[in-house]
Amino acid sequence: MRDVVNTWGRFVAGRLLALVVVSVGLVIATFSMVRLVPGDPAVAAAGINVTPAELATVRHQLGVDRPYFRQLISYTDGLIHGNLGKSFITGEPVTSILSVRLTSSLILAGTALALVFVVAMPLGLAAGALTREGRHPRTNTVFTAVTSVLGALPQFLVATFLAFIFAVWLRVLPVAGSTPPFQSLILPAIAVALAPTAILARLVRSETLNVLAQDYIRTVRSKRLPAHIVYLRHVLPNVLTAALTLAGVIFANVIAGAVIVENVFARNGIGTELVSAVETHDYQVVQGTILVLGLIVVAVNTFIDLSLGVVDPKSGLRR
Amino acid sequence: MAPPILHNFRRAPGATIAVVSVGIVVAVMIIAPLLLTKNATELHVFRANQGPSSHDWLGTDSLGRDILYRLVVATRLSVGLAFIAAGLSAAIGFALGAGAILLPRQLRPVVLRFIDMMLAFPALLVAIFVGAIIGPGSKGATLGVGIAGSFYIARVASTLAISVSNREYVAAARVLGVRRVALLVRYILANTADALVIVVTATISSSIVFLSALSFLGLGVQSPQIDWGEMLTQGVQQFYITPVAALAPAVAIALTALSFGFAGEALARLLNPLLWTTTDGSGRHSKKDLAEILASSVASRGDGDEAVLQVENLSVHVPSNVGVVDIVSQVSFNVARGEIVGIVGESGSGKTTIANAITQLIPYPAFMSGTVRVCGSDLSKLTPKQTDRLLGTSVATVFQDPMSSLNPALRLNIQLTESAEVHRRVSRSDARQSAVRLLQEVNIPAAEHLMRRYPHELSGGMRQRVTIAMGLMNQPALLIADEPTTALDVTIQAQIMDVFQEINETHSTAIVMISHNLALIGQNCHRILITYAGRIVEELPNDRLSEAYHPYTRALLGAVPDMSQRLDAPLTQIPGASPDVHARPAGCAFHPRCSLAEDVCRTDVPPLVDREGVRKVACWVANRKLSTSRS
Repeated sequence: MRDVVNTWGRFVAGRLLALVVVSVGLVIATFSMVRLVPGDPAVAAAGINVTPAELATVRHQLGVDRPYFRQLISYTDGLIHGNLGKSFITGEPVTSILSVRLTSSLILAGTALALVFVVAMPLGLAAGALTREGRHPRTNTVFTAVTSVLGALPQFLVATFLAFIFAVWLRVLPVAGSTPPFQSLILPAIAVALAPTAILARLVRSETLNVLAQDYIRTVRSKRLPAHIVYLRHVLPNVLTAALTLAGVIFANVIAGAVIVENVFARNGIGTELVSAVETHDYQVVQGTILVLGLIVVAVNTFIDLSLGVVDPKSGLRR
Repeated sequence: MAPPILHNFRRAPGATIAVVSVGIVVAVMIIAPLLLTKNATELHVFRANQGPSSHDWLGTDSLGRDILYRLVVATRLSVGLAFIAAGLSAAIGFALGAGAILLPRQLRPVVLRFIDMMLAFPALLVAIFVGAIIGPGSKGATLGVGIAGSFYIARVASTLAISVSNREYVAAARVLGVRRVALLVRYILANTADALVIVVTATISSSIVFLSALSFLGLGVQSPQIDWGEMLTQGVQQFYITPVAALAPAVAIALTALSFGFAGEALARLLNPLLWTTTDGSGRHSKKDLAEILASSVASRGDGDEAVLQVENLSVHVPSNVGVVDIVSQVSFNVARGEIVGIVGESGSGKTTIANAITQLIPYPAFMSGTVRVCGSDLSKLTPKQTDRLLGTSVATVFQDPMSSLNPALRLNIQLTESAEVHRRVSRSDARQSAVRLLQEVNIPAAEHLMRRYPHELSGGMRQRVTIAMGLMNQPALLIADEPTTALDVTIQAQIMDVFQEINETHSTAIVMISHNLALIGQNCHRILITYAGRIVEELPNDRLSEAYHPYTRALLGAVPDMSQRLDAPLTQIPGASPDVHARPAGCAFHPRCSLAEDVCRTDVPPLVDREGVRKVACWVANRKLSTSRS
């Protein structure tokens, strides 16, 4: 028993250490961004038509007037106190810009993520049940073809097509700038979720087929239990592990999808903010946004790893 | 080489379309800007925002420029930049991934971890980040997409390189002193080239999408240069007036990306024909075949109420390329209450299929004919619900491998109690109590504690006891044990057999025990059925086993080593091999291996003839001798 506790403790410690290392890497990478700008970042940010005095102020704001390590330390110090600097354009603190927009983006990403799992799990499970042992070959062909096309469709195109169908063709809603949840949340969430749903449904189906071929399912079948017990109690938990392995990739995909789809539907989120900040060379905002998104991705991946360790102790602890 | 490749293409029209469209896209990319740039940039302000017409097939944009011409010209940057980005990804990715192999062993995991970490980040964000450093524009976007895509290639390259570098010929080359870089280029690159080509094609596809996305966001190609993403941005602004201005580039991006993606898959299959899975193996049978087969099975009698199991003329048919093959033919036998019947045969003799047919678990697409009665009820006359109830309560099965026959994700208590809860509506706590009692009965110590364990915490012998207890939960009249001890070691084997004997004595549960081990069956069963090539060839009580009539049974007996044998005497074996299901000999299936075979054995199937009331044998020679000696 103590052995189990030890290996589990070491596993958790390892994951948390990795989390810290990656976070430090992220901080350094985002911090170094301004220093990597070719030429003079202050000129890139402020333009050419500025006085030398103005340029010096910009230089100071960007922190490129001090040595690299000293500036890194004061940047990290700011981070610890929840200070991500100020927007170069508006003068607003980056944290207050992000706090409003991050909520909106996380709601979109969360809705999309829920949609992915709620749709893909039953769909993949049903497709697996239907096509087991080579049954219904035509359903199999259609399922594979449809999911591989949908899985390859970029989210901003799906968003464009959805906007066309609902706004231009059916005229049920304006493309942009609306508030009711259907327009502003459901449609973007569908656009973000469609491709990952197709990918996950495919994985769940192949994993379901895999599980159905196992000996323990034969045992279950010999008990003549009703289908819902066979699939929900016996097949689903085993499929879930595989789905969880893909959850990290899906989450990254959903975050990236939300960033870009927001721009199609003109949602005020972290994605629209990021894009306008890149266009205006507002380095502090870009830095802060990438750092926060990166930290969220890393934290979620760590969480997924840990839950995989709980759900499937054998696979998680081996590494 | 050429004909099989063409053949592969013919079998997948989708792949052909993908490869042809990629060819067209590349041709358009090179030629179109040379010819059409003038048409694409001509301004006709008075004809702005027109819908499709005979003059401008896809209409015009807000400056009156022809959208179709612009779309065609925009191919150059949309696809060309993606080629550059993918090339960049390949260069960086290969250097990073395969280069990790050149590093000293201690550093290798650091690089691999770094690649994994970068893969966890959304590629688009990485691209935007790089783009933000370089500044918005086609240069920053291409570099960003190139770097973002490199980690995927690095991951694949490192995985491939590690697997190749572990092969013997690379180890041999290393021993011979081939330098590391030479090793990388000559052995590793050469042996992973096909896989890398596929990965790069996929990267081109995703690069087209990412670059268009960046241009669409205003971070990529900038006006007056055009690519599809930039056209999409322009088009969306006129969405209500001329939707085609946005839809046309959107469709162009989607179709081109899909074509490259599928072309990559097609390429993968060309380079590695093993990926072609043939799906036409199982074959299909017509409704007419099926009806004929079912009609040919003899109608059942209806006597013998005390029998727990009655099997009459049971056949199991498998549709295949050569027609319907019978893996079990015309098998009939009964099992009385409290009786232990053994079924013995080599692998492929159909003994497990007989068990599956009784429990209605024949794997698709096989199907059965004949009659199976369980406790007097003909299974074919019951509704599915009644069948579930009857088989769920009256029959239980213990399978061969206890290591894999319990669900690894569920605690044992759930697996033990569920059949009682479902079929007899026993409360969970009552079901748990009887489960604990049964676990104690099959000699499991600390049964209550064990209920909360997962299967992987138990040894094989323990697990088999659990599956036996699990089978007893509904007090079945019949227990089918399919090779229940084959996967266990010999001492455990004896203990499990004792458990079966005890169950049989205390609950008078009938048992059908299936095994390839004649000695085991002879010791533990009341009656023995010998199967060969899907038929029962002999049936006899266990005390008459040493006087078996059938040459096959006698040969099996001769092959069982016993203690009276001289140690230096060679082990006897049956000449030849058990026939394949698809190529069973005509007549008596055993005749090619039988020293007594006569002409009639090669042409006619011997019937299973009753002998002395308690035994049966299906052998022309044996039955003739028995008949003549009797008269």
